[in-house]
Amino acid sequence: MKKVKMSFVASAVCLALSFVLMSFIPEKKPWDIPAEYQSMKNPQAADDADMLKVGKMNYSRHCKSCHGNLGKGDGPKARSIDADLGDFSSATFQAQKDGVIYYQSFVGRDEMPNFEKKIPDEEDRWAIVTYIRTLKK
Amino acid sequence: MKNVIYLIVLVLLSGHLVSAQETTTEKKVDKPVRSPWESGTLINHQTSVTQYKNTLEMVISHRFGTVENGISDVFGVMAPGANIRIGFNYSILDDLLVGFGTNSQKKYQDFQVKYTPFEQTRENTMPVSLTLYANAAIDGREEAVFGLDYEFSDRLSYFSEAIVGRKINDWLSVQASVNFTHYNAVDSLLDNDKIGLGFGGRIKFSPQSSLTVELGVPLKIESIAQYTSFTDHPKPHFSIGYEVSTSTHAFQIFLTNGMGILPQELYMYNLSEFDSESIRFGFNITRLWNF
Repeated sequence: MKKVKMSFVASAVCLALSFVLMSFIPEKKPWDIPAEYQSMKNPQAADDADMLKVGKMNYSRHCKSCHGNLGKGDGPKARSIDADLGDFSSATFQAQKDGVIYYQSFVGRDEMPNFEKKIPDEEDRWAIVTYIRTLKK
Repeated sequence: MKNVIYLIVLVLLSGHLVSAQETTTEKKVDKPVRSPWESGTLINHQTSVTQYKNTLEMVISHRFGTVENGISDVFGVMAPGANIRIGFNYSILDDLLVGFGTNSQKKYQDFQVKYTPFEQTRENTMPVSLTLYANAAIDGREEAVFGLDYEFSDRLSYFSEAIVGRKINDWLSVQASVNFTHYNAVDSLLDNDKIGLGFGGRIKFSPQSSLTVELGVPLKIESIAQYTSFTDHPKPHFSIGYEVSTSTHAFQIFLTNGMGILPQELYMYNLSEFDSESIRFGFNITRLWNF
């Protein structure tokens, strides 16, 4: 009887401990994307070589240090960031609308900085989205 | 008859309005070329880049000692007497910035302005960029340095430059400049004025990295010289470096034969040759904040 009681106590402690530990796992906060962005479409063709070149250059300059070479969220600065950096090569990410990727990339939130002033040219912004689309697995 | 005239005028006007509308819709804006240079400074010279409006740029510049002592002072890195400047530039407009810097060499305090009236455009409507740069510096050392009959104006020096640049293609940008240096007070037998030419280039070999080269040549022009003996005429300064840039930083490390950071110091007082004894390492770091 004593053994059964002990195992109950141990299970309860384990359960409580796992709840405590789970609370440290960052929860994926959904993005609140305004309707005007939801409906935006990338005006550039997916295989526009000029824009892909511009997109790659700007991705290297502005995004790579956190998001990594292949967009897997493993850049050198990624370790010091708490936010979920996502995986640009994943099907879930790529299934998002153009306007959603645009909003996440340039308007940002929390640790994802706003890039509207650093990349003021609309064409350059879409070129990054065009390039990010090529990171699909 | 009157009605016919009205009709003709109306038809003519309507045609004009339609063509005006077509012109407006067909007119495509030729935007400036993307990143002709990575930052506002190449090595010692300015580039055509002015940061976007309401951007604050911090520039930290450092020139180590000469490499002549080899490993004993880590090729000048640990040598005494390094030259350091910390400066801040603020972009009032997309093509106009003002700045202030403080320099350990001669305790220079400098104020500068840079304006780019024309930028090279993508469709070549404007094939080159034109940049105008000027600064005024105050030599902050003690009065005794300036000798007898000291006046505050003896501390002042000025530098102005017109820079023409072109991004030739995705990996090559070049620029040339003509500049004018003036010191209110100089040692005897030295000229107060100096005209110089500057040349620079960037070879970009990866999306973030470039090789940079630069040459500044002070000219011997008799018509503006007070002493045609050209005593201690400044030597050309040559620099070669590596530059890497990110969203908010540019990092430039280079070898140069110029100790000065302010351009007037280089064009007026550089007596070092670009040889194995006189060259030194230096770096510039820029950090941007957008408001």
